[in-house]
Amino acid sequence: MSVLLEHLPELWQGLLVTFQLIAASFALAAVLGVVVTAMRVSPVPVLRALGTAYVETFQNLPLLVLLVLAFFGLPEIGIKASALVTAIVVIGVYQAAYVAEALRSGVNSVGQGQGEAARALGLTFTQSLRLVILPQALRTVVQPLGNVFIALTMNTALAGAISVVDLTAVANRVNLVEAQPIAIFVGAGLAYAAVAAVVGFATTRLERRLVMVR
Amino acid sequence: MRKMAAVVALSLLGLAACAGNESSPAVPGAAKPAGDDLLSKAPVADAAAILPGSTMEKIKKRGELIVGGSLDAPLLSQQNPVSGQVEGFDADMGKALAKYIIGEPKVKIVNSASETREALLGNGTVDVVFQTYTITPERAKQVAFAGPYYTSGLSIAVKKGTAGIAGPEDLNGKKVIAGANTPAIPAIKKVAPQAEIVTFASDPEAMQALKQDRGVAYVQDETLLAANAQKDPSIEVVGNPFTQDPYGIGLKHGDEQFKTFVNDWLKKMQDAGVWQQAWKNSLGTVVKGEAPTPPQIGSVPGS
Repeated sequence: MSVLLEHLPELWQGLLVTFQLIAASFALAAVLGVVVTAMRVSPVPVLRALGTAYVETFQNLPLLVLLVLAFFGLPEIGIKASALVTAIVVIGVYQAAYVAEALRSGVNSVGQGQGEAARALGLTFTQSLRLVILPQALRTVVQPLGNVFIALTMNTALAGAISVVDLTAVANRVNLVEAQPIAIFVGAGLAYAAVAAVVGFATTRLERRLVMVR
Repeated sequence: MRKMAAVVALSLLGLAACAGNESSPAVPGAAKPAGDDLLSKAPVADAAAILPGSTMEKIKKRGELIVGGSLDAPLLSQQNPVSGQVEGFDADMGKALAKYIIGEPKVKIVNSASETREALLGNGTVDVVFQTYTITPERAKQVAFAGPYYTSGLSIAVKKGTAGIAGPEDLNGKKVIAGANTPAIPAIKKVAPQAEIVTFASDPEAMQALKQDRGVAYVQDETLLAANAQKDPSIEVVGNPFTQDPYGIGLKHGDEQFKTFVNDWLKKMQDAGVWQQAWKNSLGTVVKGEAPTPPQIGSVPGS
């Protein structure tokens, strides 16, 4: 226990980096996820195919591989970003595939008649998606999106592989000096668990407020 | 889909095959001749030394020594992708200890990491740890250390032509690359507190990062850097090692009997010249000169 208190400033700094990773990459994942979902349900076959390809590509590749490839590979073709930016973009792009799948299931849960009615009223595809389908779809996928958020939180721990000093990386460094893995990693684990618990609590509350009785 | 399943099944088989090779049953002709030669000279313990009820007896009965080590540390403990054998100084020492206890160099290497070593020893998953395990008083509270069996030091590598880095103090305020979970991190913090440390899990990654200017210098074990500089002419090692790291053999905390036993073995290895031969076969291939004098057993706080 005392090890954790002694190294609190470093661990706190690591936690802040983890928060940055979570917030920025989830924001990116949310935006990209909506775009990909729109592509997947659009009436244009090429866009649908692109959306499917995106989801299949990023769901089927391990995040660690993507991180290492982007960090060491892209500079070879002249694209070089800092480790933190690389991690945010890669985690965001990767999780967007999962956000897109969650959203698509929500879109599918909205009755077909809704879309048809929207088009009958003269709304364009974008308008009907934005004003009719997505608001209803989002309500049904609050819980799955919360799960994606939690998975993203845990996945940020991989950023240490490309030299981002997040909470896990700090815990490793502290352990290197103190040699007390159980106390240190349980402490770091509790921090992740706390984030997950808050998200879980928030999504449950949100779902109750947004629930639609059909 | 079926094709994919077949590919997955095949690769799993491949993995299983690799895993099987980790325990090296010393098939004649399979290992490198040098390694065979080395192990044939390695001592075997007297039956009287294997005390009843001791850890040694347990290992002998099992017929296999379980070693916590790396599979990716060049010159020390690295799995040869062709033969599947784990080669290097630490690996040879592990095999020699297995021969001392069992009579045959049968080892199973459990890939351990710096964050799991203490736990693996504590709960008995591994018998010993040979993994550039620097003896420190903090660690000695969790595990017992036999040895030290080797003393190493950290050096600095830079891209050729880098100006302004002649010693560790020059790292202050600069971006410095280090291996994740290596003693380099606390060492840099000590000599250059203002340095920004970026870490990578493996040595090739750290080298790539140095070449891509992710940091101006790379701090790592001198032997490893010497080997890197030899392979890659764009890298050079500057100055002399700035630390002294005594490597110990990690054992379960409180097992004094086993510790004495391992220390006796280490002494015999050094007297018989097997230790020196193991050094020459591995680290000696990149460092010039004769094998160094082995460190005095029990000479470091914590050992």
